[in-house]
Amino acid sequence: MIRATEPSPLSEQSVILEVVIGYLYPFMLLLGFHVILNGHYTPGGGFQGGGVLATLFIARYIIFPVPDTDSDQLHMHQRIFLALILLAPTGLLFTGYINRNPQFHSLYLTLMDILIGLQVGFGLGVAVIRFAFFQGVGKVWKL
Amino acid sequence: MRPVVALLFVFGVFLAVMLMGDLNTQLDPFLYTYMVENFRTDTGAHNAIAAILLNYRMYDTMFEALILLTAIIGMRQFLPSPDELADSSEQKSHGIKPQ
Repeated sequence: MIRATEPSPLSEQSVILEVVIGYLYPFMLLLGFHVILNGHYTPGGGFQGGGVLATLFIARYIIFPVPDTDSDQLHMHQRIFLALILLAPTGLLFTGYINRNPQFHSLYLTLMDILIGLQVGFGLGVAVIRFAFFQGVGKVWKL
Repeated sequence: MRPVVALLFVFGVFLAVMLMGDLNTQLDPFLYTYMVENFRTDTGAHNAIAAILLNYRMYDTMFEALILLTAIIGMRQFLPSPDELADSSEQKSHGIKPQ
């Protein structure tokens, strides 16, 4: 396991930031899933909701900058959801199953939005975590 | 030399695109009108963008998802892993230079 890097000056100086982000955290989760689940009714959708979900990782990094999140695990989840994104339309849409059964239209759109949202959320989360913790201690590291 | 070549290349591509493309072409609005009129019955979506992204242009969405994977693979390739970062910071604290 990696040792904690130096806490960011933001969290050292501001209790306000910690408390506010603590209260906002569930609402960010809610907004992300709201944007994802209403993707086929309102503006929004999988990619946008995934971006909102990825802000959870940024918020956590701002108030608690300890590299205890396993980015390999996140990347594995992202790949699983990506495989499902590639498989679901191949099985449902390209075979014509959805077009023959119009009652599953909303279900299919919601499923694809959820898959895309989680995939984008995990993917951007990996990127944010990698870059955030690379910044501080990476100066010694050589290619 | 290389910046000049790159600049000429970009400018040449720009000129070629401007010369080849006829900006006054009127595209056939068949697909546009078809999608706008029929997306509700075809896909069940209430939002034409969702209908196009998840039904009419599904390949586009699939490869967009693949682009994100490609970006992350490249990032993991060129950034140090967490273990290597931990090693380098320990070596730094013990005064040993990394290889």
